[in-house]
Amino acid sequence: MSKKVKALPAADSQANSVLREIMAGDPVRIGLSILLGFIIGGIFMIVFSEDVVDSWSNFGADPNYAFSAVWWSIQDGYGALFYGSIYNFNADDFISGIRPLTETLRFAAPLIMAGLGVALTFRVGLFNIGATGQIMVGLAGATFVSTRLELPQILHMLVAVLAAVLAAAVWGIIVGILKARFGAHEVIVTIMMNYVATALFTFFLREPAFLLEANGGGTPKSDKPADTARLGALLGESFNLHYGLIIAALSVVAYWWLMERSTFGFRFRMVGHNPTAAKAAGIKVENTFIWALAISAGFSGLAAANQGLSISGGLTTSIEAGIGFDAITVALLGGSRAGGVVLAGLLFGAFKAGASSMQVAGVSPEVLGVVKALIVLFIAAPPIIRAIYRLPKPGPKMIEAMQKAEKVSK
Amino acid sequence: MNNVSRKVLAGVAMVAASVLVLSGCASKPGAGFIACGVSDEGSWTDKSFNESVMDGLMKAKEDLGVDVKDAESNSSEDFAPNLQSMIDAKCDVTFAVGFNLVDAVNTAAEANPEVNFVTIDGWSNGATNLKPVNYKMEESSYLAGYAAAYYSTSKVVGVYGGMQISAVTAFMDGFYYGAKAYEAETGTPVTVVGWNAVTQEGDFIGDFAPNNPAGKTIAAGQIAQGADVLVPIGGDQYGALSEAISEAGVDAKMIGVDKNWTVANPEYADMMLTSIEKRMTSAVFDIINAMVVDKTPFSGEAYVGTLANNGTDISVTEFIDADLTAKLAELKAGIIDGSINPLS
Repeated sequence: MSKKVKALPAADSQANSVLREIMAGDPVRIGLSILLGFIIGGIFMIVFSEDVVDSWSNFGADPNYAFSAVWWSIQDGYGALFYGSIYNFNADDFISGIRPLTETLRFAAPLIMAGLGVALTFRVGLFNIGATGQIMVGLAGATFVSTRLELPQILHMLVAVLAAVLAAAVWGIIVGILKARFGAHEVIVTIMMNYVATALFTFFLREPAFLLEANGGGTPKSDKPADTARLGALLGESFNLHYGLIIAALSVVAYWWLMERSTFGFRFRMVGHNPTAAKAAGIKVENTFIWALAISAGFSGLAAANQGLSISGGLTTSIEAGIGFDAITVALLGGSRAGGVVLAGLLFGAFKAGASSMQVAGVSPEVLGVVKALIVLFIAAPPIIRAIYRLPKPGPKMIEAMQKAEKVSK
Repeated sequence: MNNVSRKVLAGVAMVAASVLVLSGCASKPGAGFIACGVSDEGSWTDKSFNESVMDGLMKAKEDLGVDVKDAESNSSEDFAPNLQSMIDAKCDVTFAVGFNLVDAVNTAAEANPEVNFVTIDGWSNGATNLKPVNYKMEESSYLAGYAAAYYSTSKVVGVYGGMQISAVTAFMDGFYYGAKAYEAETGTPVTVVGWNAVTQEGDFIGDFAPNNPAGKTIAAGQIAQGADVLVPIGGDQYGALSEAISEAGVDAKMIGVDKNWTVANPEYADMMLTSIEKRMTSAVFDIINAMVVDKTPFSGEAYVGTLANNGTDISVTEFIDADLTAKLAELKAGIIDGSINPLS
């Protein structure tokens, strides 16, 4: 090839190698980050527990009680997280006992789908924070189909899901084109596109011609999705869990196949490892960016369909529920691998499911927010975790070993 | 000491402590009664209706000794799980705050006919275990509108809302007609900017986020049109509004909504003409009190706060002079006996 390959600027800067270490996410470091997040969250629970404050201010009166109050504040808090997200031992029967687990799965499904989308772009070396916006336009697409079209059962649902995926993909493609053709940085473009999408969705919700509910009081809110388009209950009417979980499971398989088995995924990973080398090898890096952002947004679109087609009432912008941002964390936590994203999604789903039980047990909901934020912080700053747990710094030998292990695992 | 015996000790200590706590509460009528609250989007300390409900729950905790459990909702996705947590926690009554929860609380009430719910600012689709708490806010807002027009030197008064929903426009309608009543009575033209009750068009912020900058822009626009008494119907907008007033360099007054701002937030006292109180704190307390003390069976019958039952009123402040006080008493009596319609 006579054409001289121009080095892509993002290829080998120091910042990029740090970013790659963060996005690659080795399991030990992630596990330790989660553990540390929970420990510090526990300290918050102790310090802000009324019982603890009361008993320690009267320490002399009953020292034993003061110590047990510390223990009980943690046991109550994390106990509530357990029975709010896995199994409620206080329930009268098995059905209501197991309900928390189904709620965890229900909350995890959209996080997994959107998390896969973000993970895909991480593997291509793009830091995509546009899942929020992609979910918003996906919601607009799904809701338009589910409230304004009349189609037979199942077909209606499939068309609505497809509309969400396509609408979101268009949103991703815009970012891809701006990056590939005009060199705009995807971080800035995706952030801005989030604002545009949120405003656009609100506008649609206000306009009677698009999504505004037919007989409402003028609040920006849609009609409820038609029964033919709704994601039905998966385990019968006693549970809220719906077919979104199946879509999530299918998308995990699709992601795994796409990234680990297909030629397409091979190209994605190659660009992610070293865009300059990929270009030298004849891969059209620009087109790969566009494809990656489009498919990534498609996964976010599935999360949007999950949100928009599962509710029993009309929807407002708050149905997005922070999934777009949590998806970034899920992708980081999951090391951008299919299995990792599933586990991370389940953890964050459990946080969402257990949050209300924790509040009822008297723990501020902010404690979980702190735990989540700390986990991200520790993952985003590998040296902190290495310093705290005295882990060795990955030298060339270790990296070699990791690469070997990676090869073997494939 | 090994781990097990430490746990046992801790358990014994806990039991001993709870016996103490329980025996301490035994004298109060509400011991063992669990009153619960689920907030609308926003926190319990929103200086508006979430907080008013929480105050009612806290009053019940202090005066009656009931147990209080609560959960805040951060998004509409939290409504159903939060209500479910209250059902699981075996609450005796659960207050669902705000019109946004109306679908979720109706669903929960229908699915759990043995559990009691109260919807603040919402409505019931017919479940007998769901009590709606509503207010005729147009009644007290009418008084506030009259007071604003009376107090104003420019005879231009401004009003704007969080969102165009009936819970908000009820205030705005009453305010509009109250101000117009002053015009009809004195012959002095009064201009209401930000809302026209006849065409149902006006200025809205778009949400209920505290001190939304969009609200400040609206307020600045209304001040530019000459408004010297302004009322934002959208929770805590008074930081933004007072900034707009001081930046414009005018001597304008504000009117509080939902609770008595003069008392609750003394920093604004010298700018607060009055407050249009929606006394949710007393509604919440009264409902719990009726169940705990009077042992009245819970029903789905609506609680409607009016001027007549003191569920709503405007606050007394130093800015309301004797003439105005007398006039307001007259108007209030007229609204209560039906001779004045606050919506015309």
